[in-house]
Amino acid sequence: MTDQWVTFAKVGDAAVVRLTGEIDLANAPAIGREIVRHTGRAGAVLIDLTAVSFLDSAGVRLLDSLVGDLDRNGTPIRLVVGESGPARMTLQLCAFRDDLLATNLRQAAEEVNR
Amino acid sequence: MTENGGGGPDVTQDLRVPWEEEPGDLYENAPCGYLTTLPDGTIVRVNRTFLAWSGYDRAELVGRRRFRDLLGAGDRIFYETHYAPLLAMQDGVHELALELICADGTQLPILVNAALGRDPAGLPRVVRTMIFKATDRRQYERELLTARRAAEASEKRVRALQQVVADLAAAPTAAEVAEAVIGAPAAAFGAAGSSVWLVDADSDQLIALAGSRPEAIEYPDIPLGSPNPVAEVARRGDLHVFGSIAEAEEHFPVLGEAMRPAGYRTAVMLPLTAGLAGEAIGAEVLGVLCFGFTEERELSDSELRVVRLLGHQVGQALDRARLYDAARRREARATFLAETTRSLEELQRLMPRARRLAERLVPEIAEWAAVRLQIGPAGLVADAGGPEPDPDRLAERTALVVANGKAEFAEPGAGLDCAVLPLSVGGKVLGTLALRSAAGRRTAEETAFLTDLADRAALALENARLYEQERAIARTLQRSLLAGDVPSDPRFAVETHYQAAAHDLEVGGDWFDAFLITPDKLAVVVGDVVGRGIDAATTMGQLRSAIRALASAEAGPARLLERLDRFVERVESARMATVAYAEVDLSTREMTYACAGHLPPLLAEPGGSPRYLLDGRSGALGSHAGRRTRIEHRTPLAAGTRVLLYTDGLIERRNRRIDAGFEMLARAYAGRRDAPLPGLTAGLAQSLVGREHGDDVCLLCLAIGTEDRLERSIGADPVQIALLRKDLRGWLLSHGLDEECTQAVLLAGSEAVANAIEHGYRNDPFGIVDVTATISEEAVEIRVTDRGDWQAAGADLSRGRGLQLIHQVMDDVTFDRTDGTTVTMRRSRGEAR
Repeated sequence: MTDQWVTFAKVGDAAVVRLTGEIDLANAPAIGREIVRHTGRAGAVLIDLTAVSFLDSAGVRLLDSLVGDLDRNGTPIRLVVGESGPARMTLQLCAFRDDLLATNLRQAAEEVNR
Repeated sequence: MTENGGGGPDVTQDLRVPWEEEPGDLYENAPCGYLTTLPDGTIVRVNRTFLAWSGYDRAELVGRRRFRDLLGAGDRIFYETHYAPLLAMQDGVHELALELICADGTQLPILVNAALGRDPAGLPRVVRTMIFKATDRRQYERELLTARRAAEASEKRVRALQQVVADLAAAPTAAEVAEAVIGAPAAAFGAAGSSVWLVDADSDQLIALAGSRPEAIEYPDIPLGSPNPVAEVARRGDLHVFGSIAEAEEHFPVLGEAMRPAGYRTAVMLPLTAGLAGEAIGAEVLGVLCFGFTEERELSDSELRVVRLLGHQVGQALDRARLYDAARRREARATFLAETTRSLEELQRLMPRARRLAERLVPEIAEWAAVRLQIGPAGLVADAGGPEPDPDRLAERTALVVANGKAEFAEPGAGLDCAVLPLSVGGKVLGTLALRSAAGRRTAEETAFLTDLADRAALALENARLYEQERAIARTLQRSLLAGDVPSDPRFAVETHYQAAAHDLEVGGDWFDAFLITPDKLAVVVGDVVGRGIDAATTMGQLRSAIRALASAEAGPARLLERLDRFVERVESARMATVAYAEVDLSTREMTYACAGHLPPLLAEPGGSPRYLLDGRSGALGSHAGRRTRIEHRTPLAAGTRVLLYTDGLIERRNRRIDAGFEMLARAYAGRRDAPLPGLTAGLAQSLVGREHGDDVCLLCLAIGTEDRLERSIGADPVQIALLRKDLRGWLLSHGLDEECTQAVLLAGSEAVANAIEHGYRNDPFGIVDVTATISEEAVEIRVTDRGDWQAAGADLSRGRGLQLIHQVMDDVTFDRTDGTTVTMRRSRGEAR
């Protein structure tokens, strides 16, 4: 049901979560549950938001709680947001930490493997 | 009358015997006994004849015994209660039958006459008793009695037999025959118990049908070839009567074991044959009737005759029942086949048909059944009942049947107790039908039935497979034809919706299309081809292509329809197709439209009521009866106007007048005037036809021009926000707003609407959020209004983040909480921020 917005892949022991389309109040809770279900035992989590065309505060809330959980477990996480775009705009407006944001997936993967 | 005058002696006078009759001798040696007794019965005189009969001495009797002392105990009571009182009252008794106890203790049947003599005063003085020997007479009476009892027993037997025959006539099944006959041995012969066994020719077994003892029903079936006495009697076909357990054991050692617990000491085993009496040898044995007696007894000839007669009567009834059974089974099977065919035809798709077939077979025909179709790499299986047989053996047998196209039936001892039949049509094996028969027996009749069943099922499944194939092709074709992206442009937007009929109907011939003829001329089409299925889908594709090819900058709708008419002359399946076609000049915002037999488009201008476009009408494509002159009509479109094209599935209902349908559509359309265009067509279809509709529905809504002021109302449902955003994005872009600014307005608008839904309407799922947007050279302003209850809002930090975002991306944000909440957000279009 959330397949149209979220897909999963693995790079080494890092879970790659690709989000697509518009993330808002209507679908953010379901997407959050799906991400938690698939990344429970991952060594690192990379969330690719480059294909997201809209991100509202409900999406921000989802990412924020995800980062909080993973930080507590010591699991590295990166949010891949590209150079510009709706996701980067919203996350920067919400002042997400610079160390969480990456411009591309490769950079993010290297960072978490270090 | 002269003396001896020629006649016989005078009979009134004693004949003179040639010797002197001496009275004493006459008394002593008379042919009967004489006793003279006192009134109390004490013997005072007795003649020699009596002494000779009784063996007593005169001295033992006279003065010593009373007459009653010489009688048996029962007679003594009779003497006291009847004999003596009768004598006293009537002065005599006559022909009383008594038993005299002789000196040696033996009993002598006698008949007694006695007379009481009285003295002059009338008091009893003497009793004179005359005694006749009645041995022979008694014997005769006894025989008479026995004969009468025998006659009564015989009559009882005959009555019992008559009852049985009457019951048998009304017994149409073997079970009812058994029910009718089970009580007969007790009624006719006084038997203590009985059981009825039926020979089942199909399985070569004897089956216990009924028993007067409850455990009889639980008797296991007996193979006809076994040494069991019942089977032996069935094979021999003659009546067996065993008068004692010893005699029974002499013939069948096990029979004694069966008789003892039942308390039988005599057993009768009667074969039930259909042949006439006297033809017993060689007549077919249909069953065995066994009965027993608790006493050792012989059966008389007449009883044996009745027993045999009973055997024939029951045999004939069983024969009748067998014929009825066969006829009934044939009829039931024929009905089952016909109903199965009908029932399968109710479903069109392949797997539902296969499933229904399996479900129909269990439990009526089989304990377990599986329909396996050779489709796809693994095949498709529908099964019912259980338990499933060994999968490896089943797979082996299935492969054999698929390879040979011949049925494999369950053979005793073959390891797999189920039949596998090929489902083949025209020599091609479509799959297999495997089943374990409920009866577990194989007969020629059963084989023929299963073969017939498999043939019919194969035909039904093959038809479903072809249907399925065609349907898949048609759907694919239809999808590929409808999938093409509709053009978009800041000057217009097109929203479409296609909803296939619910259930398993074939695809319809509805279609929509939108394309740019020139950069400034847009064409929109909705059409409907007559018929369904792959033909309709193909024709629809042809018409759709033809319209795209024939549309030109110069022609216009009427000319296009004329050319389509010529096209239809060559493509017969397109005849009577209906089309609504419109061309919009995007530079002048003028629309030219024409309807060939199609429902009129519905036009909604900003702020006005929807109205149907009833001009430009002519007959369906290629119509002989319709108006062939193609006409078109021009109408200017104000910015923000929406035109809806649709197929008849949207408004036509069998039980509703078409004008009611038009009215409902206009109302629903008016109700959504301010709804965002995205989702509008789907919403209309949802509210007008719902999901369970039996017809395809096709809609196209064209929104033309850009409103200077965007006004939308949406329900308090988070899903609606994305639709609004899409609409808003199109509007913002059509006004030339840059991407960054657009993103900012979309984010702020979304957050404000989300706030209204999450807080203002947290208790009201039916609330409405109004969104108004205006744009000028300098700035964009968006206003979000709800009439909800915002108490205790703001305590939520996450919502706080939404507000924070709004403040960050917009230049000026004001809240008005006088009537509900209105957030007005403004952002300038300047580059520098």
